[in-house]
Amino acid sequence: MITPLPIDVPAVPSPAAPGQPARSYWQQATTRLRRNRIGVASGVVLLFFVLVALTSPLLAAIFTHTDPRSIDLLNTFLPPLSPHHILGTDDLGRDELTRMFYGAQVSMGIGFLAVGVSLTIGAGVGLVAGYYGGLIDGLLMRFVDIILAVPAIFLFILMSILFKPNTITLALIIASVGWGSIARLVRGEVLSVRTRDFMVATSSLGASDLRLILRHLLPNVLHVLIVFGSLYLGQVVLIEAALDFLGLGISPATPSWGNMLTNSETFFFHSSWLVIWPGLTIFITVLAANLFGNAIRDAFDPRLR
Amino acid sequence: MAAPLLELHDLKTQFFTPEGVVKAVDGVSLELHAGETLGIVGESGSGKSVTALSVMRLQRPGKIVGGEVRFKGRDLTKLSEVEMREIRGQEIAMIFQDPMTSLNPVFRTGWQVGEPVRLHQGWDKARALGVAVSMLNRVGIPAPEKRARDYPHQFSGGMRQRAMIAMGLTTTPKVLIADEPTTALDVTIQAQILDLLRQVNREFGTATILITHNLGVVAGMCERVMVMYAGRIVESGPTVDVFAHPKHPYTWSLLRSIPRLDEERHEPLKPIEGLPPDLINLPSGCAFHPRCSFKMERCSRDVPTLTRVGDTQLAACWVTQSGVELKGA
Amino acid sequence: MLAKYLLRRVLATIPVVIGVTLITFLLMHVTAGSYIPGVDLNPNLKPEDVEAIKRYLGLDRPLYIQYTTWLVGITHGDFGRSMIDGSLVSSHIFDRLPATLELTVTAILIGILISIPLGITGALRRGSKIDHALTAMSVGGFAIPAFWLGLLLILVFSVQFEAWGLPFLPSGGVITPGTGGGDLFDRLVHLIMPATVLSFVYLSIWSRFTRSSMLEVLSQDYVRTARAKGMSERRVVYLHALRNAVIPLVTLVGLELPALVSGALVVEVVFSWPGIGKLLYERALQTDYTTVLGITTFAALLVVGGNLLADVLYALLDPRIRYA
Repeated sequence: MITPLPIDVPAVPSPAAPGQPARSYWQQATTRLRRNRIGVASGVVLLFFVLVALTSPLLAAIFTHTDPRSIDLLNTFLPPLSPHHILGTDDLGRDELTRMFYGAQVSMGIGFLAVGVSLTIGAGVGLVAGYYGGLIDGLLMRFVDIILAVPAIFLFILMSILFKPNTITLALIIASVGWGSIARLVRGEVLSVRTRDFMVATSSLGASDLRLILRHLLPNVLHVLIVFGSLYLGQVVLIEAALDFLGLGISPATPSWGNMLTNSETFFFHSSWLVIWPGLTIFITVLAANLFGNAIRDAFDPRLR
Repeated sequence: MAAPLLELHDLKTQFFTPEGVVKAVDGVSLELHAGETLGIVGESGSGKSVTALSVMRLQRPGKIVGGEVRFKGRDLTKLSEVEMREIRGQEIAMIFQDPMTSLNPVFRTGWQVGEPVRLHQGWDKARALGVAVSMLNRVGIPAPEKRARDYPHQFSGGMRQRAMIAMGLTTTPKVLIADEPTTALDVTIQAQILDLLRQVNREFGTATILITHNLGVVAGMCERVMVMYAGRIVESGPTVDVFAHPKHPYTWSLLRSIPRLDEERHEPLKPIEGLPPDLINLPSGCAFHPRCSFKMERCSRDVPTLTRVGDTQLAACWVTQSGVELKGA
Repeated sequence: MLAKYLLRRVLATIPVVIGVTLITFLLMHVTAGSYIPGVDLNPNLKPEDVEAIKRYLGLDRPLYIQYTTWLVGITHGDFGRSMIDGSLVSSHIFDRLPATLELTVTAILIGILISIPLGITGALRRGSKIDHALTAMSVGGFAIPAFWLGLLLILVFSVQFEAWGLPFLPSGGVITPGTGGGDLFDRLVHLIMPATVLSFVYLSIWSRFTRSSMLEVLSQDYVRTARAKGMSERRVVYLHALRNAVIPLVTLVGLELPALVSGALVVEVVFSWPGIGKLLYERALQTDYTTVLGITTFAALLVVGGNLLADVLYALLDPRIRYA
């Protein structure tokens, strides 16, 4: 389910229109982003979930006065708006809302960690492959081809049964495949930037390879990374949820929005909300990530609408 | 003299953009008689292409906001889209600048060349292909039966343009509009294509409008020429006369800025000063006056009208209309 | 021309095949390398017997020879044996592959057949309310977890409809048990929900992609030429433009194949669809590493094969490739 997202890569910045004060590329992009209401709204939603993730114990203490693991077999399947249980309880009497709070930790944690690692590795490989070209490029991209040829979930499942993942290892497992698409994308960008005059000029001034890569290439591919990162965040949340749902991700003792849905169809008749809340939250999070990614892309290159 | 085949009366076409209204064609009038060759010359943005597209009603996203386009007496701007389609490709054909991109890459060339007769005259594929092959032959493409089965990318640039010309002629239209037909081609091929267009005009009697920014092309091909600037016609007349004694400062400057093999190289080339006009905010009065070395006081106030200056030419210039001769400085 | 192009594509897949088989081999060695199938079942085996079995199975040979055996085995369709019960992975795959193909191919077809009209509509009515609505649906569709969508559909169309006395869709399986699989209608009724769920995400992506491809094509010079020939706008769009716009879609579908097969696994589990994805899932729960790896290898090869197919289709559609 990691789709190589067919995103239109934003083009090189265009010079400021005549008559306007010259502003930096980033300033222009930030202004456009701020004016995009959907973009701002989705950014806020994402921020909201991040905050929930960071403060879940606090939120639990304030709003629900319980923790995600306390089992209460006398009060299973309470409907929403029951006393002390705003969103109801699950099959073991655990408070649903608290579990949702803590679930955010898993989703956001794995999401950002996997994206961060993937972007780093992917950008590194892409920059090197694109910059040096030739045999290095050939070998690296072949390797990427191989990794991307295998359906990702199959590999994730295999690694899950090998390693019995916790939050961090699951993120690393997902990142171990995810960097491939990014590497390809970055390499493509590098290839188009590399031949431009400023690169040749800087190189002829005697700049070292590393310096050229880090200080001149990287800033120009950064916008690609940011856009992809946001869209990829959504993908990671989806994959991680699917793995949890299958029972091959985070074990159910630690709540995650995905594993809260495992086997939930069996209690649909009497407690349909248990199927709705976690899935809906996943949907909203991914939607926000996608919209935010689109907004960033539009901010960097509005021509692509 | 017989009635003109095609007449434009004060045609105005505009583009409505976020930055403002672009007056691409700002009151163009012209006449074209059967079998004539007319050249329309101007720089990029002068409105020459949009004029042609407006005749074909292909000017979208622009809008024809005023004037008439009379073809055989009917006003094309008032026709329904269905009626207009009968005219396009059948009575008036248009060929475009870049043959590389103007032919559909996924269909065979013979099929594309034969499409107009299939569409307009209802012929079946075999018959249309036959006409296509014979037309490809007429335009000088060797081995036409084989070439008809080829795809556009298998043709060279010159051959492709010949195929485009063939495509325009299969329905024996009354008017052929060629929009920069040689601009994307090599110089040597350019000459061949112009020869072909001349030949076509003679053999088929098709009235031809040749749009270009290249004065040399016009000289070789067109009986009459119109010069456009900023969406307006600034001069028109027989090509020989206009080139010999231009009656508008713009034409005059254009002719002087071209290096000529038959002149002594005493002086540096004189490019036209200034920048092309902003079509959203045209200068007041004569659109050329900011760059004109002959300007008078009236030029910045009143828009000049196209009137007779000399025996055979029309020019929209207060200066020449008041009798001043354009001489070098 | 065409033959050379195809040959080049086939040759390009060889390093990928080698790479994939090498990785799965190494993983197999790491996880189950010295594990002898069936040893646990027979406590009477003496150490010498175990050694003999090892030698028989070739597990004492150097790694590169073992890999070559594995690779050669694959070319003969042998994807190893289960470490739980020694059964041939290939026979499992053989049993289950048709179901996965049925599901995946149907999903692709649904995806393409719906994306194209949606994409055309979005392009032709760019900026209109319909376009915005379609874009919104795309963005939404792309965000829905497939397994959740599957659950919800089952819960509504199977469970709830049955409770309300309406005709309801089956909640799983390929056919109704006991009918022998001959009834086409029965198969369709079982196929519709899983195929819809699987195609849903891709619909979103592909329709947006078709839209932008169409917009790009409509701005091309040859479209202007077509209009100048005096043909109806319908002909311009559906014959001249569309024919060009779908070509990149083929490439896109090819690129998405690994994701599609991944998605099929999840859908198979949710709908109890007896395909190779569900098989892998079942075997994974039993930590049957060798079967899991065998299926993974096969799935990767399937994807590679699918990509080749997409390349062939691409060459057929684009004469610039066919007659380079």
